[in-house]
Amino acid sequence: MLGTLIKKEILNNVFSFRFVVIFALLLVVVPVTIFILTNDYVKKVDEYSSRQNGIENYLKNYAHFNRIGPITTPSQPPIPFYSLVRGISSDVNMDKFDDDPLPVMFPLLDLVFIVGILLSLAALIFSYDAVCGEKEDGTLKLMMSNRLARSKIILGKIIGGTLTLLIPFTLSLGLGLFVILLNSRVGWEGTDWVTLALVLFGAVIYILLFLVIGVLISASHHSSSASIMTSLFVWVLLVLVVPNLSPYLAALISPAPSQIKMEREVSRLSDVERDNLGRKLEAERLAELVKKYPVLAERFSEAEAKARVEKDPAFREAYQARTREIQAAWDEANRIQGKKANDLQDEFRRNVGAQTRLSRDLSMISPLVDFTYLATDLTSTGTMNLGHFRRLSDDIWGPAYDQYVRGRIAALQKQNPAVDWWNTPVDVSDMPRFQYKEEALPARVKGTLWPFAILMIMNLIVFSAAYISFVKYDVR
Amino acid sequence: MPRRTPVLLWTIVRKEIVANLLSYKFFIAILLTTLLLFTSFFVLYKDYKGRLADYELVRAKPGEPIAVLPPNPLSIFAKGLDEAMTRSFEISRIGIDVFAGQKSGNIIFAFFPTPDFVYIVKVVLSLVALLFGFDQVSREKESGVLRLMMSNSVSRTKILAGKWLGNFLSLSVPFLLVTILGFVLINLDPLVRFSTSSAARFFLLVLTAIIYIALFLSLGIFVSALTRRAASSLVILLLIWAVTVFVVPNLGTLLARQMVDVPSVKALSEKQDQVWTREVLQMEIERRAKNDRGTGDIVKKHFNVINLELNQMEEDYRNRFDRLVRLSKNINRLSPAASFVYATTELTGTGIGEESHLKENVLRYKDSVLSNLERGEKQAPSFTYRYRSVGQVLSQGGLFDLAWLIFFNILFFAMGYVAFVRYDVR
Repeated sequence: MLGTLIKKEILNNVFSFRFVVIFALLLVVVPVTIFILTNDYVKKVDEYSSRQNGIENYLKNYAHFNRIGPITTPSQPPIPFYSLVRGISSDVNMDKFDDDPLPVMFPLLDLVFIVGILLSLAALIFSYDAVCGEKEDGTLKLMMSNRLARSKIILGKIIGGTLTLLIPFTLSLGLGLFVILLNSRVGWEGTDWVTLALVLFGAVIYILLFLVIGVLISASHHSSSASIMTSLFVWVLLVLVVPNLSPYLAALISPAPSQIKMEREVSRLSDVERDNLGRKLEAERLAELVKKYPVLAERFSEAEAKARVEKDPAFREAYQARTREIQAAWDEANRIQGKKANDLQDEFRRNVGAQTRLSRDLSMISPLVDFTYLATDLTSTGTMNLGHFRRLSDDIWGPAYDQYVRGRIAALQKQNPAVDWWNTPVDVSDMPRFQYKEEALPARVKGTLWPFAILMIMNLIVFSAAYISFVKYDVR
Repeated sequence: MPRRTPVLLWTIVRKEIVANLLSYKFFIAILLTTLLLFTSFFVLYKDYKGRLADYELVRAKPGEPIAVLPPNPLSIFAKGLDEAMTRSFEISRIGIDVFAGQKSGNIIFAFFPTPDFVYIVKVVLSLVALLFGFDQVSREKESGVLRLMMSNSVSRTKILAGKWLGNFLSLSVPFLLVTILGFVLINLDPLVRFSTSSAARFFLLVLTAIIYIALFLSLGIFVSALTRRAASSLVILLLIWAVTVFVVPNLGTLLARQMVDVPSVKALSEKQDQVWTREVLQMEIERRAKNDRGTGDIVKKHFNVINLELNQMEEDYRNRFDRLVRLSKNINRLSPAASFVYATTELTGTGIGEESHLKENVLRYKDSVLSNLERGEKQAPSFTYRYRSVGQVLSQGGLFDLAWLIFFNILFFAMGYVAFVRYDVR
């Protein structure tokens, strides 16, 4: 019976005008987007390899340990998934004078965007009149006059609607994937296909959710023209407003000082305030010391002191003690202020972390955001990958690099202590090079369980609401 | 037999307005508009205040070679690139250090565009306008009202004009009220207090928004007059809307990138680092060979090389980037939504043109700081920046975008007229 209902829904939809329009749109937009993104990815790969060549050339000729730090700083290589999902990988580098502000004005179009906006809208277009439309046509009455459970009807509508929507989506995506397969420069591996399958699974749950939302709204209205208004209202809020507002709301609820405020404070702590503290500590310690070595009470210039140190062993002892005390005073000042600055930075990081978590949690009310997080984190283009990259570069590559530099310098100095090896070109062909590897798939999946779960739970809740609402629906 | 009196335009307008006022659609539309506009005003006003407080921390003291702008109060409505423009540019002998000052560490901001007035109008108000227009002809045909209306001695022109005006008024009057109320409320804060010129720019911004909304209303009526059923009209319109607002502008920029070869920011900064460290290394080696400890000719020579090469790189980058901006603008203008964004952000002084104008000024400032240093003066001149005047903005593309929006308006209205005249009302 359910099969008949699903078949009826699919046939009904497939021959409808909206199906044709949506099909045509997706058939154009999806392959074109994937084609352009793939070309862009290939361009990125070329640029990345020419950048790496540039670095290697530089290292061959000018590598010297004093200043190669910024040259060898690891950077994220393009990954094959860029031809489908871009996430937050676009480089809006705000730290340089020559930046690229275009993505701020118009964000990139990718598969996540297409599913997130176009397909959710399409899902609502398919379902906004699922119940009330049939009521208006009178077919609902006819259907109910048969021995049919309402639960079966609603299930048939949802499953049928999802399947119909998947036809244009799968076909257009298939066409797009064909573009990727044809391009010999994009090498997808086995895990990439698994990732794609997971992303698509997420997409299906996401589309299903909007379909169910449409059915719920349709089952709570008696005219389809009112139903579409409510559907669009809900859609605008969930898809276009909540995601954009949530970081701003989070910033209001859990404020964090701006980067610059923290930096200013840190530089004040380790600059002016440290100098004041250092001078104070120095004066205190010297005052103590004068009691032990009264000679030090006299005023003398640096040159006089040097002359007296040569002649007078007692003065030398006193002067050395003085130097030691001054050093100790400044060390202490540095330690105290350094700790203060560290505490401040830690607090800043905690605050920003708290705000980021809150924004993330708030934004997850929106299904679009859940889908975005799961798609970007699965494909290593989201926030999770930022952390992963930081771990690779700071915790794994960084120490290895430091160790290499120290070992090399020590060996070279042993060879010839007279040379300033920090500022002399050396051969660094054996230096460890940074290797980027995507996080293992299981870890990525684990990181996206929450968005998956939230989407599922939302589906369940909305479905139950739709069911209840349909059971109570007056079909006349 | 009653005498037939010609129906006045105003009668139709009034009929449309009353019909709207009583409809569920109107209720939803006004609820959405009011809710979103007020939330957006509040949130961005808070954001502005936060950035203003940060500016007080970083503003240059007299004599410091720092160029930093206060946040633009109009960024409450059109944030655009204001965040990039209010970074602090610190001039030193070897270039410009940028501190992404008023930036937060919260990465979630990077995921979705700012929900400012421009965004709300571009995305939500355009949709609302379509919803006002989509069933103007087809719904009345379905319900038979259209036939009845036509049986009176009223011309189709009048009906269409009345429909357009009635819906335009019922859409734009609440929108204007909310917007102006928001503006006045924000203006109450002495820390914001818009200047007369800002208020004039705001007026132009709202005017552009109205033109943009009218365009979508005309489009809605046009498609409605093409279709027999309101439901099909809606489906077509929603998809046209999605393509104009989301697909074209976002894909256009990417497409332009395929045609203009612009190095990524990363590539550029890596090259700059390489030049800079290479020259310093050679300087060190030469100084050691000559036993030179002072800041003699060797230093000068290498610094000149650094400056020369970096300037060349920057100039090359900026030329290419300008070409990319021009091309992407022209591609994106296929969509009125992009034209709307360009026009509004430029008018409020937060657009791409303003940003590059600021950069030119910062570069000029750098030259003057360096020549001051050359002359041995310790104090750097202070940096002053004047936003481009409205006249300049209009002559540098703003007028084109406005005219383009008006052109779309006329085009859609005319096509709607033709379609309606030929419409079979039975």
